[in-house]
Amino acid sequence: MESTQFNTQILNHSDKLYRLAKSILRNEIAAQDAVQELIMKLWEKRSILDGVENIQAFTMRSMRNLCLDTIRQQQDEDEIPVEFEYVEPNPYQQTEQKDIASKIRTMINQLPELQRTIIRMRDVEEMDIAEIAFITSISENAVSVNLSRARQKIREQILKEQKRVEETVWK
Amino acid sequence: MEMMNELLEKYFRGETSLEDEKELKQYFLTGNVSPDLETYRILFGVFDQELTEKAISPLIKVLPKQRKNKRIWLQSFFTTGIAATIVIVLWVQLPPSSLNYTIIGGTRIDNTEFAQRYAAKKLSKVNNIIARTMSPLKSLNKVREDIEPLKNISDIKLRMDDKQN
Repeated sequence: MESTQFNTQILNHSDKLYRLAKSILRNEIAAQDAVQELIMKLWEKRSILDGVENIQAFTMRSMRNLCLDTIRQQQDEDEIPVEFEYVEPNPYQQTEQKDIASKIRTMINQLPELQRTIIRMRDVEEMDIAEIAFITSISENAVSVNLSRARQKIREQILKEQKRVEETVWK
Repeated sequence: MEMMNELLEKYFRGETSLEDEKELKQYFLTGNVSPDLETYRILFGVFDQELTEKAISPLIKVLPKQRKNKRIWLQSFFTTGIAATIVIVLWVQLPPSSLNYTIIGGTRIDNTEFAQRYAAKKLSKVNNIIARTMSPLKSLNKVREDIEPLKNISDIKLRMDDKQN
């Protein structure tokens, strides 16, 4: 693959890669590092990219695998795993997150990795089911099931939150 | 309104197509949303906002870095070339092999192995001197690249002066 091709087909999508990495790792710096590492690896092995049919999907799949490897590696090293890094916000953070948009973001981040990756690929990146299935290495049916579960969980939590707010107002 | 409610139910069941979802997004982000559905407007707003998230710092410049490597490769090629030329010149200037001796610093040396090792040592010294002489040039190039944007300052100042006048 020529450098211009590499630039248009991979480097130009680095924001998309970053969003995926950030969604999986839930850490901006770790996501940034992961994207850089992936780009370096792809550049070193750019000769094999010529045979890839859908470069974007291939790159996204590689990004997800690299992030999952990072999480696994941290678990092996007995570090605090990124996957389970998220903790319930403390009262101070709750005050900070009182706007519903932040709460919705928190709700998405609380979903299991596969579900939050799928919901973001579909609802943020607007990818089709077949592409998501390729990236996550599961069947199209499994993607649809996980997508539906993720959306329903978010809805349930939104409704619960609305109820809680209404009760607080009427007290 | 009724239609949007149905579409929203389908959305949460994961049964909507990309086109349906685009229609929903358009409704929630641009239309007059009923107060009952206000929270869902925020949900679609979150998705829309996340799409604007960009990588924080500029990503590594893989390609320029490769170009830099290429420059280093060219430099070593150049240095090796000079060293090879010196070897050839010295080789040509050495006394014919039939004599089986050489003169170093006025002393006659009959030991071939010693003469070769001496020549190799001297060549390596020359090679190091060349490499050291070339290294400040690398820094010079870096400085030149860094001050490149400063060249535009005078233009910006002129334009600001023009605006003030």
